[in-house]
Amino acid sequence: MDLLTPDLGTYIWSLFIFMTVLFVLKRYAWNPLLDFLEEREEDIANSLKMAESAKSDLEQIKDESQKILDQAKKEGKVIVTDSKQKAEDSANKILESAKAKSDEFIVDAKSKIEIEKQRAIKEIKEEVVDLSIDLASKILQRNVKDDDNDKFIQSSLDAMNTDEAKS
Amino acid sequence: MIVGEKITEKWSMDQAAQYAKDHVIDSDKLAEKNIFDFEFLTTLTEKASAFGLPIDFAISKHVFLLFFVSFITVGTIVTLVQSYISHKKNIPNKFMSMIEMMVVYLREDVLKTTIGDKEHRDWAPLIYTIFFFVLFSNILGLIPIFDLSGLIGSLGYKFEIFKEKYNFLYVLSKGGNTVTANINVTFALATISFFAFIGAGIKKYGFMQHWKNLAPSGLPWPLYFVVVPIEFMGLFIRPLALTLRLAGNMMGGHIALVIFITFIFSANAELGAFAGFAIAPFSVALALGLTMLELLVAVIQAYVFALLTAVFIGMAIHVDH
Repeated sequence: MDLLTPDLGTYIWSLFIFMTVLFVLKRYAWNPLLDFLEEREEDIANSLKMAESAKSDLEQIKDESQKILDQAKKEGKVIVTDSKQKAEDSANKILESAKAKSDEFIVDAKSKIEIEKQRAIKEIKEEVVDLSIDLASKILQRNVKDDDNDKFIQSSLDAMNTDEAKS
Repeated sequence: MIVGEKITEKWSMDQAAQYAKDHVIDSDKLAEKNIFDFEFLTTLTEKASAFGLPIDFAISKHVFLLFFVSFITVGTIVTLVQSYISHKKNIPNKFMSMIEMMVVYLREDVLKTTIGDKEHRDWAPLIYTIFFFVLFSNILGLIPIFDLSGLIGSLGYKFEIFKEKYNFLYVLSKGGNTVTANINVTFALATISFFAFIGAGIKKYGFMQHWKNLAPSGLPWPLYFVVVPIEFMGLFIRPLALTLRLAGNMMGGHIALVIFITFIFSANAELGAFAGFAIAPFSVALALGLTMLELLVAVIQAYVFALLTAVFIGMAIHVDH
């Protein structure tokens, strides 16, 4: 045998052996392995896609919840300011009505006092008239002298004073 | 071969070339030196010669090694792949990761780029088988298990069980153990590639159109007298180049490796024992470095063979470029 001797026997054996190896490996190694690899790559790609979509979903949910929170905060604020306003309004109303009532009372009281005063003055006047008439009649009945008259007036005035003090 | 035979015989420097050649060639098919002597193979050979075909079906060392490599390749890959894909957790072990890495790399960077996304799946098994078969053959050729068996066989013939000079272990060590250094083997591989890239073109374009595709269309007609013969020659040069590239690389590496080792024997024979001892570290260092290089070459040549087959298949499928 030399280095480059063609040898058909070895050649045919090589062909035969290689074809057998090719057949066996194709059937039991390469095709299953390639199928498996493709399946796994698909799996990975799908998982990545899913993760991506889950991420964006989460982002969306986060955004939405933030929006809802903001909305709620705003509404809360509005409610608080509204109720404050209402409370203030009602407080003011109550105060006003109270004031009005007290004013009414005061006016009422004043007018009553005035009426009483007028009545008292009127009574006093009537009394004075009565007394004057009394005095006049007494004066007229006695023949009074001037000084008697003075005395009499003085005594009547005293009597009046004592009467007043008594009453 | 290396130590087994020569330590008992007188060495001279002129023997080195023959010695190196002995390391890479196939064993003799002569009946008395044959490893496996099967009756039906002898009759098959006789029948073939009766038809005028000089085919010797006897199992030489390289044929035996081809079977050996096939069993290792098929055994390793099928076991790993089957256990990988049937495993529940689908976690590859160390060797499976390596195979998967190579498979994915070849698919992404060779098959998809040269053959194309659509068609690559049809040709992937062929390319993968070529790659791993050549790779296992090349690497097995670097492991000197049969040299060791030769040593044992040669020393053992003094004992009763190895009585005859050409015992099994000794014969196994005769000739190289790199099957891919044998041009018959690489030519067989190249033949398969050759039919693969013809088959790829026919599958895509039909029988007639494929042959028309060999020459680019739209040239001025006189040019076809030049282009067609060139393309036709190219068709046959491609497998021939594949054959010689792989065989030459493997052969050359092993010859250089053996020559480096024979420096020790030559120096010993020509200049005395001291020179032999003195040169030994350099020889071994060179051989060691070259073995590392050969490891690299083993992978590269397997890759190149697979890549070129893929490229030629791609060329048959994508005629436009």
